[in-house]
Amino acid sequence: MNSSNQKKRNFQIEAFKHKVVVDPKYADKTWKILEHAITEIYNHNASGLSFEELYRNAYNMVLHKFGEKLYSGLVGTMTLHLQEMAKTIEAAQGNLFLEELNRKWNDHNKALQMIRDILMYMDRTFIPSNRKTPVHELGLNLWRDNVIHSSKIQTRLLDTLLELIQKERTGEIINRGLMRNIIKMLMDLGSSVYQEDFEKHFLEVSADFYRAESQDFIECCDCGDYLKKAERRLNEEIERVSLYLDSKSETKITNVVEKEMIASHMLRLVHMDNSGLVNMLIDDKYEDLGRMYNLFRRVPNGLPTIRDVMTSHLRETGKQLVTDAEKLKDPVEFVQCLLNEKDKYDKIINLAFSNDKTFQNALNSSFEYFINLNPRSPEFISLFVDEKLRKGLKGVSEEDVETILDKVMMLFRYLQEKDVFEKYYKQHLAKRLLSGKTVSDDAERSLIVKLKTECGYQFTSKLEGMFTDMKTSQDTMQGFYAAYAAELGDSPTLVVQVLTTGSWPTQPSITCNLPAEMSALCEKFRSYYLGTHTGRRLSWQTNMGTADLKAIFGKGQKHELNVSTYQMCVLMLFNSADRLSYKEIEQATEIPSSDLRRCLQSLACVKGKNVLRKEPMSKDIGEEDAFFVNDKFTSKFYKVKIGTVVAQKESEPEKQETRQRVEEDRKPQIEAAIVRIMKSRRVLDHNNIIAEVTKQLQSRFLANPGEIKKRIESLIERDFLERDSSDRRLYRYLA
Amino acid sequence: MGIQKDRVRFNVGGKIFDTSATTLANAGRNSLFGAMFDENWDLQSGHSTTEHFIDRNPDYFAVLLDLLRTGELYLPSNMSEKQLYREALFYGILDHVRSAKWGPFDGNRLRLARSVTGRAPGDGTAIRAGPDGGCCVAHGSMVHVYDWMLEVHPPINLDYQRVNDAGWIDPESIVISACERFGTGDGGMGLFSASTGERRYKFHVSHENQVKSYTAGALSFSPDYKLFSSCKGRSNEYGIGVWDQVTGKQIDFFYEPPGWSLGEADKLQWLHGNNCLLVATLFPRKDNCYIGLLDFRDKSMPWSWSDVGAPITDEKRVRDAIAMEESSSVCVVNEYEDLGFMDLRRAAGSVRWSSRSRLMKGKMPDEPCYPKLALHEGQLFSSMNDSISVFCGQDWVLTSRLRRTYGGSICDFSIGGDRLFALHSEENVFDIWETPSPPII
Repeated sequence: MNSSNQKKRNFQIEAFKHKVVVDPKYADKTWKILEHAITEIYNHNASGLSFEELYRNAYNMVLHKFGEKLYSGLVGTMTLHLQEMAKTIEAAQGNLFLEELNRKWNDHNKALQMIRDILMYMDRTFIPSNRKTPVHELGLNLWRDNVIHSSKIQTRLLDTLLELIQKERTGEIINRGLMRNIIKMLMDLGSSVYQEDFEKHFLEVSADFYRAESQDFIECCDCGDYLKKAERRLNEEIERVSLYLDSKSETKITNVVEKEMIASHMLRLVHMDNSGLVNMLIDDKYEDLGRMYNLFRRVPNGLPTIRDVMTSHLRETGKQLVTDAEKLKDPVEFVQCLLNEKDKYDKIINLAFSNDKTFQNALNSSFEYFINLNPRSPEFISLFVDEKLRKGLKGVSEEDVETILDKVMMLFRYLQEKDVFEKYYKQHLAKRLLSGKTVSDDAERSLIVKLKTECGYQFTSKLEGMFTDMKTSQDTMQGFYAAYAAELGDSPTLVVQVLTTGSWPTQPSITCNLPAEMSALCEKFRSYYLGTHTGRRLSWQTNMGTADLKAIFGKGQKHELNVSTYQMCVLMLFNSADRLSYKEIEQATEIPSSDLRRCLQSLACVKGKNVLRKEPMSKDIGEEDAFFVNDKFTSKFYKVKIGTVVAQKESEPEKQETRQRVEEDRKPQIEAAIVRIMKSRRVLDHNNIIAEVTKQLQSRFLANPGEIKKRIESLIERDFLERDSSDRRLYRYLA
Repeated sequence: MGIQKDRVRFNVGGKIFDTSATTLANAGRNSLFGAMFDENWDLQSGHSTTEHFIDRNPDYFAVLLDLLRTGELYLPSNMSEKQLYREALFYGILDHVRSAKWGPFDGNRLRLARSVTGRAPGDGTAIRAGPDGGCCVAHGSMVHVYDWMLEVHPPINLDYQRVNDAGWIDPESIVISACERFGTGDGGMGLFSASTGERRYKFHVSHENQVKSYTAGALSFSPDYKLFSSCKGRSNEYGIGVWDQVTGKQIDFFYEPPGWSLGEADKLQWLHGNNCLLVATLFPRKDNCYIGLLDFRDKSMPWSWSDVGAPITDEKRVRDAIAMEESSSVCVVNEYEDLGFMDLRRAAGSVRWSSRSRLMKGKMPDEPCYPKLALHEGQLFSSMNDSISVFCGQDWVLTSRLRRTYGGSICDFSIGGDRLFALHSEENVFDIWETPSPPII
């Protein structure tokens, strides 16, 4: 009946029908039956009930529109039973409290399932269309409100749980199964119940606990021990979550431990006296370092803290290393130290820092920083290679050679002035090739290939030219001897290496006077060579040659002396004289005086190699000195190699000279770069040119802005560029 | 005695039924049988010889017991379908009955299951299939709701304003969009209970923090609980609104760009793979057709097409459009049911028409209904006058045609809950097409 019909009632004639009247007591009676059944269920007394009858009764109530009565009856009855249960739980003594709570929870769950079975029809029809809470959810909500939130249970439950966790943290054994059941109950009641009634407080108490504990630890432990303890605590909490907490709590509780035990003490730990990060690095404590990495990774700013300390320590030690005056005396040792340092940190990053890219970058930038603090690093690295390729690689397997070369390349990559390295490398390579001192052609070539891949074809084209010259010279000599074999007879054997100008680091040297037999031979070769190659010019680099001399000393000792060309010229003079003064020698040979001094020094002053004697006996060569053959010369070897006293490192003026040549060579490169850039950009302002030129050249060297400016000015003078007439900072390319 | 442990005896309304626990287990835990034989109730052990009394009609029990035994439903013609449903509801196995009634949807095996005649006056506006086999039908300002048993529920209206579109959020909830009544705030869009017809809430449009009255047009829903509607407000509120289905709150608004018509769009379609909304405004609402994809994240229109500037002939005039994400294309249809295709991966393409049904021309009925398109699991459906064509395969070959002469032209159709509903324009009648369950062998 709706309202509009009622208004018109007066005009309506009632149809002849009996209103179907349901027994007014029907609903009450039926509900009584169901209520009784619910009570029996809660009393563990359900075996006498008929499921079919109860189901039918509940069905009928809903069918006859008593759904609301049924539903509110259910809420009332269940509430009463739960209040009873709450009382029993409250009465439980001490430890039995949780057990009682758990038991009642299980009882309630079972009863709830059975009630839901009976009321299934209501659950399916009445509840969704009337937007009521379904029976199962209703049961959980009532349990929450009447039991868990009852004033005498709520705080007691929380305190009990927290107390048990505290006990477990201090090493006691607790009933984890019971804990799991109770926590599971809170989770079943909804995530908000778990969070509000337990998790929130749990996290607060944990934070307090770990704040205090970490304070104790940091006062009495060293860094390594502290980290071990922190790691153990972290693992314990993770285990606790997996054993009896909601898995979503894991990140929350680990955050608490991380914050209290790590983040709050990070700087103190890293800088701890005698056991902090720097000590760990020095002592290669891979395990401790790994632990620190893994723990610090978990907190904000943790890894940068480690990285910064590592970087500054590395820069400091690196700086000491490259400026250590002792180390500078021995370039090989110097480079070896760099390599050792690199190996050490590579290993640390690999073993402890899980090959973290950011750490590798920090390592690289540190090396780049301090290697370039010493301007002689390029020279030293080349010297190191020289040493290795001369003798250091004997008996070393091919793979190990590769490893060493790769490591050298790595240092090479850090160099800013790669062109300086190239200069030295060329010099050292030339010496190796000309003196036939290189041990392995393969190793030489392998390094050239590496340089080529690193720096491109231009970088190595001249170096490769040197190898070609060596090969061509061999062929030329064969041709020479084939052509002159008969003519030459028993004159000395001449070996000429024809070096292409430009490919080799030749110095414009004053030719010395060769002994007569040699100069005749040289002339023959010259005419042979120029005869086969027209349009070439040949000049002698006597400062770079070597000679083998057969000598017989006073008591008939026969030796073969391996000497430089200069030394040969000096010694040959003694074939026709017993005693010669410095001046006489100088006049006869015309060897430049600095070279002559060195040459005489090596012949007369080196113990065991002194084929000459001089007066007066002293370490240095003076212009007034006199020289004569050392008749008493002995050596247990037949062949004696007389080295030239050459400082392996360059002398100061030589260094200046090399430097100057490097600077000279850079000029055209800078100019070429400027022109390339301007050609494509047409117009560019000053700062951008500087930036682009620097960028283009940085694979070879770090261009000096002042020098770039000079080159720009020079190009303007030569009409490659012009300044913009309105904006003086702009340059314009003139095609 | 040789009685299997598995055996169960029922006395239903005085008639004895012997069956097995295995058969009853097919009913599932959430049924009377599931609860009855749960260990809590302690009924299965020790009592296997006693009978379980159930005070219900034995004839229908027999039908339902057979359903549990075979998974198939056979109702003798002298028995009432409605009563069967009621019995099934009592036992908690109504879902079993529904899934036995018709099979998984296949456009090429459809069979006309029923026609339902309503009492609404005038032309139908829209029919929308519900997720579980029910449907709702919009006529004028009313929406009539039918459950899957085709029982009619209390009708829905939104302030008795003219309904433009309707749609199901879930089996319990229907959204309807309606015209506004000037100055009153009536109309717009509302969410209703499918079973009781009660209005739960209205969806509001806010512009500069003020609630505006508006006319809601086409609707679309996304799986992440968003609701889209074309909106036409009083002044600035032209565009596509976005609401949260769960809270009913407006969460976004795509204002209409100049020269484009979003607020009057006829069709919206959410493309989940592209995270875009297809919006189509078509003739005759506008002189020209506009189809575009909207990206709400950056308020851009990554793809669009319109026939502005193109010579308009009837053969080229787009009447409906649907995006097909699998082939990254948009299918359109003209008033002669020729299909056309556009590539979604290429911007500003043209329509590739396939003039398949040119023969149809000249056979137009007095009151034609223009084509509508629908896509369902790789099958394309197009309604035209009194029939629906089914197209399959990569080249969209015509494979089936559904036709029923009673009721006049089909003005709308919808597929859902494994059923196809077709609404006719002349009489207030709609057809239900179902796929029969597969043959026995």
